[in-house]
Amino acid sequence: MTRGVLLFCFDTEHTKYHKILERCVRLIKMNLCVEITVVTNFDTYKKMSPMGFINYKFIEPELGNKLNGKAWNNADRHMAYELSPYDTTLVLDIDYFCFSDHLAKFFDTEYDFLVPDHAYDLTGRDSFDHRRWSMIPMVWATVLLFKKNEKVRKIFDTVKYVKQYYSYFTEMYRIYAKNLRNDYVFAIALQQINGFMGYEKFPFSLSTLPPDCEIVEITDDGIAWKYKDQISYVENHDVHVLNKEIANV
Amino acid sequence: MDIGSLKKQSDLSYDIAIAKRNALEKAHSRQIIVYNEHIFRADPQTICVVRTLKETQETFIVLDTNNNPVLITDPGDFLSKLIERNQESLNSYHQMYKTFENKGD
Repeated sequence: MTRGVLLFCFDTEHTKYHKILERCVRLIKMNLCVEITVVTNFDTYKKMSPMGFINYKFIEPELGNKLNGKAWNNADRHMAYELSPYDTTLVLDIDYFCFSDHLAKFFDTEYDFLVPDHAYDLTGRDSFDHRRWSMIPMVWATVLLFKKNEKVRKIFDTVKYVKQYYSYFTEMYRIYAKNLRNDYVFAIALQQINGFMGYEKFPFSLSTLPPDCEIVEITDDGIAWKYKDQISYVENHDVHVLNKEIANV
Repeated sequence: MDIGSLKKQSDLSYDIAIAKRNALEKAHSRQIIVYNEHIFRADPQTICVVRTLKETQETFIVLDTNNNPVLITDPGDFLSKLIERNQESLNSYHQMYKTFENKGD
């Protein structure tokens, strides 16, 4: 049984995502010790520094999605099932930094599909309570674990369907955000395919730094950030960083 | 106490509260273990249930974090792993907590 991490990385006009990828890959190699496949395009690949043994899959990203008015190439996550060469795949956003081996243990579980449904705000503001922003409980597609089997293939087929008719679903579920968010695409698909009942989840919250945190330092062990003149840090704990300026730290 | 000292003390208290909160979240996260291909939380409740069942039964069923039933055939091994992980995570939290105590000096 093969296992590995699948990452998506496409530079945009405003953000050097390949810089974020390089940090992400280094930490995965140190702490998860599994094979890595990067889905990217040739323009981004040309800018990457050598990162050791990595598999690459080249696709042209679907364009048009935006985040805060800037290009946001996140519309290809629905192809993770086809693009992954592994029997068990951990899909990570490249701005999710594995400062610990926490996620490695989940490769040894029997669950077909796992996703977290809570985020923890490291600044103490509880700013990720998204229930008021839609009628559907959100999941965080930042971290997905799936096995290749018929059940999971149907989940991804549903993800593709939801993505195709996303504007309809955003109206139906009264989702405030009008840009494409994988979090909602997967939340809707999982609810639909599971008969509007529950589904299996990771039992932890994604520790997350909101976009208004300035990242002041990042090492192999942890990350320090500044929020309203207060500097805080965490070590040996995985962190999802929403401020894309981390590419320049 | 002048307003400057009050603000300084308030900022320090805020820093400590955030650091403590984050350290506790980290400890909770570290308490998650995988056993028999299922996910469990090495918290006091799970440890107590396993220890209680172990006293009267050689094998028993417990629920994982997704409420799936799991047959435990080696309760001693399971219990020792739960306790080990629980204490490992709390020890790390304790070390962090000790650093808070000296921050106001």
